[in-house]
Amino acid sequence: MELTPEILKINPAATAERIKTFIKDMVKKTGTNGVVLGISGGIDSSTVAALSTLSLGSEKVIGLILPEDETYNETDIRHAKRVAEKFRFKTVEITITPVLEAYYKTIPIFDSMEKISRGNIKARARMIYLYYYANKLNLLVCGSSDKSETMMGYFTKWGDVAADIAPLMDLYKTQVRQLAKYIGVPDEIIAKPSSPNLWRGQLAEKELGIKYETLDLILYGLERFMSTKEIAKQLQLNKQLVEKIKKRWLRMEHKRQMPLSLKLTYRTVGKDFRLYHTQ
Amino acid sequence: MKRFNIALAQMTCTRANKEANIQKMEKYIQKAKAENASLIVFPELALTGYILRDQIYELAETIPGPTVMTMEKIAKRENIHIIFGMPELSEKTQAVIYNTAVLVAPKGYVGKYRKMHLPTHSVFEEKRYFRQGYKPTVFETELGKVGMLICYDAFFPEVSRILRLEGAQLLVCISASPAVRRHFFEILTVARAIENTVFLAYVNLVGLENGLQFWGGSRLIAPSGKILIQAKYNEEHMVVGTVDYSDIKPVEAFVPTLRDLRPEIFQMLQELSEKL
Repeated sequence: MELTPEILKINPAATAERIKTFIKDMVKKTGTNGVVLGISGGIDSSTVAALSTLSLGSEKVIGLILPEDETYNETDIRHAKRVAEKFRFKTVEITITPVLEAYYKTIPIFDSMEKISRGNIKARARMIYLYYYANKLNLLVCGSSDKSETMMGYFTKWGDVAADIAPLMDLYKTQVRQLAKYIGVPDEIIAKPSSPNLWRGQLAEKELGIKYETLDLILYGLERFMSTKEIAKQLQLNKQLVEKIKKRWLRMEHKRQMPLSLKLTYRTVGKDFRLYHTQ
Repeated sequence: MKRFNIALAQMTCTRANKEANIQKMEKYIQKAKAENASLIVFPELALTGYILRDQIYELAETIPGPTVMTMEKIAKRENIHIIFGMPELSEKTQAVIYNTAVLVAPKGYVGKYRKMHLPTHSVFEEKRYFRQGYKPTVFETELGKVGMLICYDAFFPEVSRILRLEGAQLLVCISASPAVRRHFFEILTVARAIENTVFLAYVNLVGLENGLQFWGGSRLIAPSGKILIQAKYNEEHMVVGTVDYSDIKPVEAFVPTLRDLRPEIFQMLQELSEKL
């Protein structure tokens, strides 16, 4: 197998169709009124919001724009609104700064200088808003996590990844870009550097230490059981870098599963209680 | 009967709801009858849906059993043959289950086939729940000699070959194949028909279960490999086609795979696969 950009090519029309069917089917089977999404103005949330409206119609999609003062970025908000206008879904803008400040003030050990724990509060606060809308209006929370960040564990546990459905979770970032282009997400959104925006100046590729074009090929190789040696050789990369990516992928499994339970009795949740999603 | 109509009914199932699925099958049976079908085929585990996980222990039934009795009544009333999939509980135990295809005729229950190759890889976990079957069997019916296989069995040419060597004129493959595997089945079903010069009816599940999208695309394939009819992709659909056994002879003479079989290499096949 040759790790070239070619292998990451998807059939965007067929993929869009399958995702639209999935969203529609889930809303129908759960008896919900539609979906609510957090929209950041980034490529993933723009793409999944667009696909949701193409699947369900404008009336059944609500996008929450949830800015806060520290990372407030007018361009991102403009992008979020532009996608909403283009695909005709309703948005609600709520500034979450007062809520964040309440957390900062009331957590006795709060450390304003430690940006990861502080940033995670933001992602988890947004989750609370999304689930309030979902509960109150009988909606599904539609997540926008992609496969690259999910494999890397590049998300906040119980934060931005928290959702009822995750239609993009099996597509690498570079594949989401192809899909976004096909469905007509504006080019400037597709082209701008990805960021979780948990603190000012945070950039995904900088933090991960690698470009998505390369990361996706490494992950593709790992997905298909290739050795780190072979991946590094083919991509002309340092073997340590590939090993680091592999270790991170494996180490982050705790973020992708239910909490680890201890086997104590006959059938155990998360182990051998093997049930299915009734949908 | 040398020539008859066959209905391929690819349906979505309501999981773990046998009553709802039987009702749906009954509607399709009536529709098939209206189109002069003598045989209707439903997908793998059509009685219950495919992804059942631990709930399978509550759903499996013996064969014959209550569901087969119901299907016998419907077959008799509608004067039609029916093939469908269901989880079969062994009569001798309480939790040994087979993934089974059942054939019912207007005169009553004819026979069953227990899936021999149970996929347990990727998203499949069949060996966790099912015991494998041991014997491909051909059934003598008013519609000729019919052999059944189930989904992953199509990857193993031995099953179809044995059925054909036992005299099957029609192979019926019931399936629950998700979309990422479509290209395998589109090739393999045609290959099984050509290499055995036999009619092959493939009926797949359709709809979404647990994030798996079943692609439908059921088809009737002639012994020449020609696709005679094909159902739509990704949606519930029933199509009716004609099986005409007189079409077998010209193909058998043109591509005489059965005449050219080399039994002496089968021993080698066994030895090598034991040593794999």
